[in-house]
Amino acid sequence: MRIQVRFFAGYREIVGSRALSWSAREGLTLEELVDGVLAKYPRLAGHRATMLLAVNHSVAGSDRVLREGDEVALLPPVSGGVR
Amino acid sequence: MIDIRRARINLEAVVDSVRRDDAGAFVLFVGSVRSDEGVRALDYEVYRPMAMKSFADLVERAKEKFGIREMSIVHRLGRVAVGGDSVAIACASVHRAEAFAACAWVMDEVKRIVPIWKTEVAGRKDRARRLR
Repeated sequence: MRIQVRFFAGYREIVGSRALSWSAREGLTLEELVDGVLAKYPRLAGHRATMLLAVNHSVAGSDRVLREGDEVALLPPVSGGVR
Repeated sequence: MIDIRRARINLEAVVDSVRRDDAGAFVLFVGSVRSDEGVRALDYEVYRPMAMKSFADLVERAKEKFGIREMSIVHRLGRVAVGGDSVAIACASVHRAEAFAACAWVMDEVKRIVPIWKTEVAGRKDRARRLR
């Protein structure tokens, strides 16, 4: 199955892309997908502790089982609004 | 009104969007890009579908938590120069106390959970710095 993976801010700069299409086996969990992405982009690994994960625009736990066509987002700590 | 936009925020339109006859208090919070040494603008990056959903959730939670009647949130996307408004939150309630409280709470939540990131745009002598 294919999963769309999106990157923002500092993560986008590390990966060099806003999004990529990730090929995965059925039953893959969010945690397994993130492990795969971190293995491919080791510079992201240092951010894992503060990384927020979302599936289809909602925050998701790492045990979430992914489905064909899901959109996964790796989100750095947010900083919107004003300082 | 919930909006994420590149164009400047029309503050009067944001206030008008929450006006209603059963509210006696309207509070408008405006966040602007402040002048800091070496900074000439902020670049805002937004995960739009999730941010829109987060704003809508926050409005509903604010209504439940504070009993306010209406709330609007408008946030900028892209480059906002020093002095420009980056976010506006308007709130309508029967009395002023809950409108002030709801605006303050929602702004804190926007900074805490809504997927928006900003980067300083430096003057010529300085380098860009990502903010947290």
